[in-house]
Amino acid sequence: MRTCIVNEPEPADSQRVTQLYVGCVLIVVLACIWLRATASHGALVSRLDHPVRIAYIGPGAGIALVGSFLVVLTALVSAFMAMLTWPLRRVWRALRGRRALRNARVRRVVVLGLDGLEPSLVEQYLREGRLPHLAQLQELGSYCHLGTTWPPLSPVAWSSFATGTNPGKHNIFDFISRDVRTYLPTMSSVSIAGPRRNVKLGRYNLPLTKPAITMMRKSKPFWNVLGESGIFSAVLRVPITFPPDRFHGVQLSAMCVPDLLGTQGTFIHYSDRGDAGPMNDGDLGGEQIIVERTGQGIRSYLPGPTNPLAANNETLKVPFSVLPGSAEGTATLRVDGQEIALRENFFSDWVRFSYKMAPGMSMKGISRFYLKQMNGQFSMYSTAVQIDPDRPAMPISHPTVYSSYLARQQGPFATLGLAEDTSSLSDEVMTEDAFLAQAYGIHEERTKMFFDALEKVRGGAVICVFDAPDRIQHMFWRFSDRAHPALRGRENTHRDAIRDMYVRMDKLVGETVRQLGDDTALFVMSDHGFKSFRRCVDLNAWLLEKGYLRLSGDVKHTDESYLKGVDWSRTRAYALGLAGIYINQQGRESQGIVADGREKDELVTELVEQLAGLTDPESAKIAVRQAVRREEVYRGPYVDAAPDILVGYDPGYRVSWESAVGKVSQHLFADNTKAWSGDHCVHPETVPGVLFSSLPLDSTAANIVDMGPTILSLLGVETPKYMDGTSLFAQTGSGESN
Amino acid sequence: MIFSNKKKVAIDKSLYDRLKAVSEVGGYSSVDEFIVHILEREAAQFEEAQDEEAVAKQLRGLGYIE
Repeated sequence: MRTCIVNEPEPADSQRVTQLYVGCVLIVVLACIWLRATASHGALVSRLDHPVRIAYIGPGAGIALVGSFLVVLTALVSAFMAMLTWPLRRVWRALRGRRALRNARVRRVVVLGLDGLEPSLVEQYLREGRLPHLAQLQELGSYCHLGTTWPPLSPVAWSSFATGTNPGKHNIFDFISRDVRTYLPTMSSVSIAGPRRNVKLGRYNLPLTKPAITMMRKSKPFWNVLGESGIFSAVLRVPITFPPDRFHGVQLSAMCVPDLLGTQGTFIHYSDRGDAGPMNDGDLGGEQIIVERTGQGIRSYLPGPTNPLAANNETLKVPFSVLPGSAEGTATLRVDGQEIALRENFFSDWVRFSYKMAPGMSMKGISRFYLKQMNGQFSMYSTAVQIDPDRPAMPISHPTVYSSYLARQQGPFATLGLAEDTSSLSDEVMTEDAFLAQAYGIHEERTKMFFDALEKVRGGAVICVFDAPDRIQHMFWRFSDRAHPALRGRENTHRDAIRDMYVRMDKLVGETVRQLGDDTALFVMSDHGFKSFRRCVDLNAWLLEKGYLRLSGDVKHTDESYLKGVDWSRTRAYALGLAGIYINQQGRESQGIVADGREKDELVTELVEQLAGLTDPESAKIAVRQAVRREEVYRGPYVDAAPDILVGYDPGYRVSWESAVGKVSQHLFADNTKAWSGDHCVHPETVPGVLFSSLPLDSTAANIVDMGPTILSLLGVETPKYMDGTSLFAQTGSGESN
Repeated sequence: MIFSNKKKVAIDKSLYDRLKAVSEVGGYSSVDEFIVHILEREAAQFEEAQDEEAVAKQLRGLGYIE
């Protein structure tokens, strides 16, 4: 590009001074914007940072977080141009929007996702008349089971929902994947790398580039396909949408959005006694901080990420104090210039606070506090410090301003991917009632944003996933299963918690139906069902017993995570994660010993045959219904990343806690005595989801991969070739516009 | 585009057509996805792996494996 420089008449001195002043102010303002954006983004990622330097290629990470001065300048120019061209674009969109739905059978499709709703319980409660609104939907339209994925896990199943493909095409096979170079686990859905370049200025270390946040889910979601046809979608909290997709619509990210510490959720327990540090030897997501007593009150701090602007890697903190209130069981929290009223055994509202990184620069976080005891032994819980949706330190929505819009509409809300804090209940820091209060609080936040989308989006698709059914069933299944080991020796205090949750979800369905008109199709669906999780199966212990896995020094078990004690020179297969088993393959794993081809094929066949029908000696029940080689259930370009063997457990069993993180325990089978007592990581045929449709379906042999094509067909868009699913309506809707 | 998160790479049109045909057969949603997959796979061989501390931090709080 060539640039022409035109000589201008020299202005008078006063004019020049004014121009210089204005110019300097503008530069300072822009520099501040640049630093704030880069630094706050970098602060979070500095906790996530690792030596991997992956170039950022792939789906966009939002539009508001910028990485250089030039980018800010360009963005401002772009915004100015956007304002100028707004009327023209408005007219174009109106015309395009009208054309977009010309082949649609309905003007709007609404998907109400109830994660983990179990068909057998739905059917029981329908028979008992407890779910009148779902019954009405069934009568009006259809109800059927919804086939799920191998393995039946939310990140896998919702990715198949989004893309209409089997996991071999979308690359999500589990919550975690593994690094073939180190055998260490990795997050399967997102890769986060810190800024590639920094410049050191005195005590400051300034990032020059923005961190790379890469979505690992591949293929293309159906909302992108709708967008290409000019159809708008609102996609709220559908798992595996972090970083957010870029498309014609709005999206709020969900599962795997980290907290401000860069973890999947680290709650904090404040106490005046005990030891500081990770709780339960770091096995759970909690951190204990010992408070400082100050007369009647206490003083402590909210931990934050490493300050990315400080050259000395100092950790950011927000100090606070808690003083006893005038009434018994009350207190006042003083934090960041605010006074928050606390009451024992109640959650506070969300509290916003700022981590000061440098003069004029800060990062925003939010937490809810739960005062357990003020007098005597001090005890207080804080949720994980979460990204403030109003001022997000990371892109958690598309467009980035959407989370801010929601926060201003309804106040702060939980942004963490797995926001319902199961760890604090497992760790017995929080009670069952406190967990329910938290889960339903998040449910109400979600309801508000869902209804806002229903009100604003009159044509296109509205999809919202509610997580409470999944989390509550995970933690309360023991109360509805008398034979559960976790209930042994304790009172059944929450017998009806799961039933009450189903009734509450039915109420949500009723409220949703009332918001809809005749031109809307409604689907209520779950991604998988639920079963009891009574017994753990240690796949690594089984591999060791059978001689497929060897430990260094020929010991018989190891408490070390991440397969650290494994002797790779003698190990042919290993387990990691929830889905299955990997072969230690030559040329793929860094220390692989099994040759690809015939040797591997024979080994896989041997393992599959031996695992099928694996029996629990204590009960003589079958623990493993079926094991399959991955090629039997996946097809597509990413099959190579999947476990070589997928294990389908019978209900009641699941992979052990130890095996999932690469430990090798002493026992092949063990009781599951944790509060996490229900699960769905079993054989997919035993845990289908549910599907209710307001329109009668032409096919009830439904699978979750059919949802994308079905929604596309209702909105008059052809199913792309790469999708594996097919529409559940015989007619594609062509020419059937209402 | 200067503020885009993506960069363009120029390839021969005949190669693009070949890749398009192959990507459809392979089950990709687009040629771009196909090319990115190949590039990521090759680049990974030359990149450093994540250290254990970073791994533990990222996975902390994931209830399914605790």
